[in-house]
Amino acid sequence: MTTNSHSPSLSASTPESAEDTLRIVANLPAPEGLEERVHDVLRRTPRLARVLPWPSALKPQSNWMRTAAAAAIVFAIAGGGWGVYTRVEPNRPARVLFMPRVAAPGGFSGAGAIRTPETVPGPAAPQPVQSKTAKKAAPKNKITGQPSVQK
Amino acid sequence: MEIPDSAVNEEAHRRAEGTALSALVDQYSGALYRVAYSVLRNPADAEDAVQEAFLRVVRHRDTLNDVRDHRVWLIRIVWNIVLDRKRRAKTRPETDDVAELARVLPSTGLSAEEVAAAAQHHAHVLACVEKLPTKEREVLVLSAFEELSSVEIAAVLGITESSVRSRLFRARNLIAGLLDHTRNSK
Repeated sequence: MTTNSHSPSLSASTPESAEDTLRIVANLPAPEGLEERVHDVLRRTPRLARVLPWPSALKPQSNWMRTAAAAAIVFAIAGGGWGVYTRVEPNRPARVLFMPRVAAPGGFSGAGAIRTPETVPGPAAPQPVQSKTAKKAAPKNKITGQPSVQK
Repeated sequence: MEIPDSAVNEEAHRRAEGTALSALVDQYSGALYRVAYSVLRNPADAEDAVQEAFLRVVRHRDTLNDVRDHRVWLIRIVWNIVLDRKRRAKTRPETDDVAELARVLPSTGLSAEEVAAAAQHHAHVLACVEKLPTKEREVLVLSAFEELSSVEIAAVLGITESSVRSRLFRARNLIAGLLDHTRNSK
Protein backbone atom coordinates (compact mmCIF):
# COMPACT_ATOMS: atom_id res chain seq x y z
CA MET A 1 0.00 0.00 0.00
CA THR A 2 1.25 3.47 -0.77
CA THR A 3 2.14 5.46 2.34
CA ASN A 4 1.78 8.83 0.78
CA SER A 5 0.82 11.74 3.02
CA HIS A 6 -1.74 12.72 0.38
CA SER A 7 -3.60 9.44 0.73
CA PRO A 8 -4.31 8.80 4.40
CA SER A 9 -7.07 6.39 5.28
CA LEU A 10 -10.12 7.61 7.11
CA SER A 11 -9.17 5.56 10.15
CA ALA A 12 -6.10 7.76 10.60
CA SER A 13 -8.12 10.84 11.51
CA THR A 14 -5.89 12.35 14.16
CA PRO A 15 -4.96 15.92 15.00
CA GLU A 16 -1.68 15.34 13.18
CA SER A 17 -3.51 14.25 10.08
CA ALA A 18 -5.68 17.36 10.33
CA GLU A 19 -2.55 19.49 10.43
CA ASP A 20 -1.15 17.50 7.52
CA THR A 21 -4.24 18.35 5.52
CA LEU A 22 -3.93 22.03 6.37
CA ARG A 23 -0.26 21.91 5.49
CA ILE A 24 -1.03 20.38 2.10
CA VAL A 25 -3.61 23.10 1.43
CA ALA A 26 -1.21 25.77 2.67
CA ASN A 27 1.55 24.59 0.36
CA LEU A 28 -0.47 24.39 -2.81
CA PRO A 29 1.43 26.15 -5.58
CA ALA A 30 0.22 29.52 -6.76
CA PRO A 31 -1.30 29.50 -10.25
CA GLU A 32 0.92 30.22 -13.22
CA GLY A 33 1.35 33.86 -14.17
CA LEU A 34 -0.06 35.22 -10.89
CA GLU A 35 2.69 37.82 -10.56
CA GLU A 36 2.14 39.03 -14.14
CA ARG A 37 -1.57 39.45 -13.54
CA VAL A 38 -0.95 41.40 -10.34
CA HIS A 39 1.54 43.62 -12.22
CA ASP A 40 -1.08 44.21 -14.92
CA VAL A 41 -3.70 45.22 -12.35
CA LEU A 42 -1.28 47.62 -10.70
CA ARG A 43 -0.30 49.14 -14.04
CA ARG A 44 -3.95 49.72 -14.90
CA THR A 45 -4.58 51.43 -11.57
CA PRO A 46 -5.03 55.15 -12.19
CA ARG A 47 -2.46 57.45 -10.67
CA LEU A 48 -5.30 59.37 -9.07
CA ALA A 49 -5.47 56.72 -6.39
CA ARG A 50 -2.26 58.09 -4.95
CA VAL A 51 -2.62 60.22 -1.85
CA LEU A 52 -1.38 63.72 -2.64
CA PRO A 53 1.67 64.69 -0.62
CA TRP A 54 1.59 67.77 1.58
CA PRO A 55 3.43 70.81 0.24
CA SER A 56 6.78 71.09 1.99
CA ALA A 57 5.77 74.32 3.76
CA LEU A 58 2.66 72.66 5.18
CA LYS A 59 4.29 69.45 6.35
CA PRO A 60 3.44 68.71 9.97
CA GLN A 61 7.14 68.27 10.75
CA SER A 62 8.05 71.84 9.77
CA ASN A 63 8.70 74.39 12.54
CA TRP A 64 6.40 76.89 10.93
CA MET A 65 3.48 74.46 11.13
CA ARG A 66 4.29 73.60 14.73
CA THR A 67 4.34 77.25 15.73
CA ALA A 68 1.05 77.85 13.94
CA ALA A 69 -0.53 74.82 15.62
CA ALA A 70 0.67 75.95 19.06
CA ALA A 71 -0.66 79.46 18.44
CA ALA A 72 -4.01 78.04 17.34
CA ILE A 73 -4.26 75.95 20.51
CA VAL A 74 -3.40 78.95 22.72
CA PHE A 75 -5.89 81.12 20.85
CA ALA A 76 -8.64 78.51 21.22
CA ILE A 77 -8.05 78.11 24.96
CA ALA A 78 -7.80 81.86 25.62
CA GLY A 79 -10.86 82.59 23.48
CA GLY A 80 -12.86 79.91 25.23
CA GLY A 81 -11.89 81.28 28.65
CA TRP A 82 -12.76 84.82 27.66
CA GLY A 83 -16.11 83.68 26.26
CA VAL A 84 -16.98 81.96 29.50
CA TYR A 85 -15.82 84.97 31.55
CA THR A 86 -17.99 87.43 29.62
CA ARG A 87 -21.12 85.27 29.63
CA VAL A 88 -21.22 84.12 33.24
CA GLU A 89 -22.91 86.61 35.66
CA PRO A 90 -21.24 87.28 39.01
CA ASN A 91 -22.90 85.81 42.08
CA ARG A 92 -25.61 87.94 43.65
CA PRO A 93 -25.79 88.08 47.46
CA ALA A 94 -28.61 85.93 48.82
CA ARG A 95 -31.53 87.71 50.46
CA VAL A 96 -32.03 85.13 53.16
CA LEU A 97 -29.11 84.03 55.19
CA PHE A 98 -29.12 80.35 55.89
CA MET A 99 -26.91 79.13 58.61
CA PRO A 100 -25.21 75.93 57.71
CA ARG A 101 -26.17 73.06 59.90
CA VAL A 102 -23.35 71.14 61.37
CA ALA A 103 -24.00 67.42 61.46
CA ALA A 104 -23.53 65.49 64.66
CA PRO A 105 -20.17 63.74 65.00
CA GLY A 106 -21.84 60.36 64.47
CA GLY A 107 -23.07 61.41 61.06
CA PHE A 108 -26.69 61.89 62.14
CA SER A 109 -28.45 65.21 62.50
CA GLY A 110 -31.55 66.26 64.34
CA ALA A 111 -33.09 67.54 61.11
CA GLY A 112 -33.69 70.86 62.86
CA ALA A 113 -36.03 69.40 65.47
CA ILE A 114 -36.13 71.25 68.84
CA ARG A 115 -37.48 69.51 71.90
CA THR A 116 -40.07 71.57 73.75
CA PRO A 117 -41.09 70.02 77.13
CA GLU A 118 -44.76 69.93 77.99
CA THR A 119 -45.53 72.53 80.57
CA VAL A 120 -48.36 72.32 83.07
CA PRO A 121 -49.63 75.20 85.16
CA GLY A 122 -47.91 75.14 88.51
CA PRO A 123 -49.73 75.09 91.91
CA ALA A 124 -51.00 78.40 93.09
CA ALA A 125 -49.69 79.00 96.63
CA PRO A 126 -51.67 81.36 98.89
CA GLN A 127 -49.83 84.61 99.52
CA PRO A 128 -49.22 85.37 103.24
CA VAL A 129 -51.05 88.46 104.44
CA GLN A 130 -48.88 90.80 106.60
CA SER A 131 -50.29 93.47 108.83
CA LYS A 132 -49.15 97.08 108.42
CA THR A 133 -48.25 97.43 112.16
CA ALA A 134 -45.86 94.49 112.04
CA LYS A 135 -44.05 96.04 109.19
CA LYS A 136 -43.49 99.27 111.09
CA ALA A 137 -42.46 97.57 114.42
CA ALA A 138 -39.64 95.54 113.05
CA PRO A 139 -37.39 97.41 110.71
CA LYS A 140 -35.56 95.15 108.36
CA ASN A 141 -31.86 94.67 108.33
CA LYS A 142 -30.54 96.36 105.24
CA ILE A 143 -28.26 93.56 104.33
CA THR A 144 -30.18 90.37 105.12
CA GLY A 145 -33.70 91.67 104.89
CA GLN A 146 -34.64 90.00 108.25
CA PRO A 147 -36.18 91.93 111.15
CA SER A 148 -33.37 93.31 113.30
CA VAL A 149 -33.10 92.24 116.93
CA GLN A 150 -33.25 94.96 119.57
CA LYS A 151 -30.46 94.68 122.22
CA MET B 1 14.11 75.11 -20.23
CA GLU B 2 15.27 74.20 -16.76
CA ILE B 3 13.61 71.38 -14.86
CA PRO B 4 13.14 72.16 -11.16
CA ASP B 5 14.88 69.91 -8.63
CA SER B 6 11.62 69.06 -6.89
CA ALA B 7 10.18 67.58 -10.11
CA VAL B 8 13.29 65.44 -10.61
CA ASN B 9 13.17 64.24 -7.01
CA GLU B 10 9.48 63.46 -7.31
CA GLU B 11 10.03 61.42 -10.48
CA ALA B 12 12.98 59.54 -8.95
CA HIS B 13 11.00 58.90 -5.80
CA ARG B 14 8.06 57.54 -7.81
CA ARG B 15 10.33 55.30 -9.85
CA ALA B 16 11.94 53.91 -6.68
CA GLU B 17 8.53 53.22 -5.21
CA GLY B 18 7.46 51.41 -8.38
CA THR B 19 10.58 49.24 -8.30
CA ALA B 20 10.08 48.38 -4.63
CA LEU B 21 6.44 47.52 -5.27
CA SER B 22 7.18 45.23 -8.20
CA ALA B 23 9.85 43.51 -6.10
CA LEU B 24 7.23 42.90 -3.40
CA VAL B 25 4.84 41.46 -5.98
CA ASP B 26 7.49 39.09 -7.36
CA GLN B 27 8.62 38.00 -3.91
CA TYR B 28 5.40 37.59 -1.97
CA SER B 29 2.54 36.97 -4.43
CA GLY B 30 2.82 33.21 -4.02
CA ALA B 31 2.83 33.31 -0.22
CA LEU B 32 -0.11 35.69 -0.16
CA TYR B 33 -2.02 33.48 -2.57
CA ARG B 34 -1.49 30.44 -0.35
CA VAL B 35 -2.67 32.34 2.73
CA ALA B 36 -5.74 33.53 0.87
CA TYR B 37 -6.44 30.09 -0.57
CA SER B 38 -6.17 28.39 2.83
CA VAL B 39 -9.09 30.50 4.06
CA LEU B 40 -11.22 30.95 0.96
CA ARG B 41 -10.30 27.66 -0.74
CA ASN B 42 -11.27 29.05 -4.08
CA PRO B 43 -8.51 29.85 -6.63
CA ALA B 44 -10.26 32.82 -8.24
CA ASP B 45 -11.23 34.41 -4.93
CA ALA B 46 -7.71 33.89 -3.57
CA GLU B 47 -6.19 35.62 -6.61
CA ASP B 48 -8.64 38.50 -6.27
CA ALA B 49 -7.63 38.86 -2.63
CA VAL B 50 -3.94 39.03 -3.58
CA GLN B 51 -4.63 41.73 -6.16
CA GLU B 52 -6.70 43.71 -3.68
CA ALA B 53 -3.90 43.44 -1.12
CA PHE B 54 -1.40 44.96 -3.55
CA LEU B 55 -3.87 47.66 -4.52
CA ARG B 56 -4.06 48.61 -0.85
CA VAL B 57 -0.28 48.70 -0.76
CA VAL B 58 -0.30 51.10 -3.73
CA ARG B 59 -2.79 53.31 -1.92
CA HIS B 60 -0.53 53.47 1.14
CA ARG B 61 2.85 53.32 -0.58
CA ASP B 62 4.01 56.42 1.25
CA THR B 63 4.20 54.32 4.42
CA LEU B 64 6.18 51.55 2.69
CA ASN B 65 9.48 52.78 4.07
CA ASP B 66 8.19 52.68 7.65
CA VAL B 67 7.33 48.98 7.48
CA ARG B 68 9.84 46.76 9.23
CA ASP B 69 8.79 43.30 8.05
CA HIS B 70 7.14 43.49 4.64
CA ARG B 71 6.21 39.81 4.56
CA VAL B 72 4.25 39.87 7.83
CA TRP B 73 2.76 43.24 6.91
CA LEU B 74 1.51 41.90 3.55
CA ILE B 75 0.20 38.67 5.08
CA ARG B 76 -1.69 40.74 7.63
CA ILE B 77 -3.26 42.81 4.86
CA VAL B 78 -4.33 39.79 2.83
CA TRP B 79 -5.50 38.02 6.00
CA ASN B 80 -7.85 40.89 6.83
CA ILE B 81 -9.12 40.94 3.25
CA VAL B 82 -9.91 37.21 3.15
CA LEU B 83 -11.56 37.23 6.56
CA ASP B 84 -13.72 40.13 5.47
CA ARG B 85 -14.66 38.36 2.24
CA LYS B 86 -15.43 35.12 4.03
CA ARG B 87 -17.59 36.94 6.57
CA ARG B 88 -19.53 38.64 3.81
CA ALA B 89 -19.94 35.55 1.63
CA LYS B 90 -20.87 33.22 4.52
CA THR B 91 -20.66 30.27 2.15
CA ARG B 92 -18.82 27.03 2.58
CA PRO B 93 -15.46 26.92 0.87
CA GLU B 94 -15.51 25.38 -2.55
CA THR B 95 -13.01 22.68 -1.60
CA ASP B 96 -15.42 21.07 0.83
CA ASP B 97 -16.58 19.50 -2.38
CA VAL B 98 -14.63 16.23 -2.66
CA ALA B 99 -14.36 16.34 -6.45
CA GLU B 100 -12.89 19.84 -6.33
CA LEU B 101 -10.35 18.75 -3.70
CA ALA B 102 -9.35 15.77 -5.80
CA ARG B 103 -8.74 18.14 -8.68
CA VAL B 104 -6.70 20.64 -6.67
CA LEU B 105 -4.55 18.42 -4.44
CA PRO B 106 -1.34 16.93 -5.82
CA SER B 107 -1.83 13.32 -6.88
CA THR B 108 1.39 12.15 -8.47
CA GLY B 109 1.93 8.41 -8.17
CA LEU B 110 -1.56 7.69 -6.86
CA SER B 111 -4.29 5.60 -8.40
CA ALA B 112 -7.68 7.10 -9.09
CA GLU B 113 -9.13 5.29 -6.07
CA GLU B 114 -6.42 6.58 -3.77
CA VAL B 115 -6.90 10.08 -5.01
CA ALA B 116 -10.63 9.83 -4.34
CA ALA B 117 -10.04 8.40 -0.83
CA ALA B 118 -7.50 11.12 -0.03
CA ALA B 119 -9.84 13.84 -1.27
CA GLN B 120 -12.63 12.41 0.86
CA HIS B 121 -10.39 12.34 3.92
CA HIS B 122 -9.14 15.89 3.39
CA ALA B 123 -12.67 17.16 2.82
CA HIS B 124 -13.74 15.53 6.08
CA VAL B 125 -10.83 17.08 7.99
CA LEU B 126 -11.43 20.51 6.49
CA ALA B 127 -15.11 20.29 7.43
CA CYS B 128 -14.03 19.58 11.02
CA VAL B 129 -11.65 22.56 10.92
CA GLU B 130 -14.54 24.75 9.82
CA LYS B 131 -16.44 23.72 12.95
CA LEU B 132 -13.72 25.08 15.26
CA PRO B 133 -14.25 28.42 17.01
CA THR B 134 -12.91 31.32 14.97
CA LYS B 135 -9.92 32.16 17.17
CA GLU B 136 -8.67 28.60 17.33
CA ARG B 137 -9.33 27.98 13.64
CA GLU B 138 -7.35 31.06 12.61
CA VAL B 139 -4.29 30.03 14.58
CA LEU B 140 -4.50 26.46 13.33
CA VAL B 141 -4.72 27.57 9.70
CA LEU B 142 -1.80 29.98 10.03
CA SER B 143 0.31 27.43 11.89
CA ALA B 144 0.17 25.24 8.79
CA PHE B 145 2.43 27.72 7.01
CA GLU B 146 5.95 26.54 7.65
CA GLU B 147 7.25 29.98 6.70
CA LEU B 148 5.40 31.62 9.62
CA SER B 149 6.81 31.40 13.14
CA SER B 150 4.60 31.78 16.22
CA VAL B 151 5.93 35.33 16.65
CA GLU B 152 4.88 36.16 13.10
CA ILE B 153 1.47 34.52 13.58
CA ALA B 154 1.05 36.68 16.67
CA ALA B 155 1.95 39.77 14.63
CA VAL B 156 -0.53 38.85 11.89
CA LEU B 157 -3.36 38.27 14.36
CA GLY B 158 -2.41 41.14 16.65
CA ILE B 159 -2.14 38.97 19.76
CA THR B 160 0.68 37.81 22.01
CA GLU B 161 2.85 34.81 21.31
CA SER B 162 1.60 33.03 24.43
CA SER B 163 -1.97 33.49 23.20
CA VAL B 164 -0.97 31.86 19.92
CA ARG B 165 0.41 28.86 21.78
CA SER B 166 -2.61 28.46 24.04
CA ARG B 167 -5.04 28.81 21.15
CA LEU B 168 -3.08 26.28 19.14
CA PHE B 169 -3.20 23.86 22.07
CA ARG B 170 -6.97 24.29 22.39
CA ALA B 171 -7.42 23.94 18.62
CA ARG B 172 -5.53 20.64 18.58
CA ASN B 173 -7.62 19.29 21.45
CA LEU B 174 -10.84 20.39 19.83
CA ILE B 175 -9.99 18.95 16.43
CA ALA B 176 -9.00 15.67 18.09
CA GLY B 177 -12.38 15.57 19.80
CA LEU B 178 -14.22 16.33 16.58
CA LEU B 179 -12.34 13.69 14.62
CA ASP B 180 -12.89 11.11 17.39
CA HIS B 181 -16.57 11.90 17.49
CA THR B 182 -17.02 11.46 13.75
CA ARG B 183 -14.92 8.27 13.75
CA ASN B 184 -16.98 6.71 16.54
CA SER B 185 -20.26 7.66 14.97
CA LYS B 186 -19.37 5.75 11.79
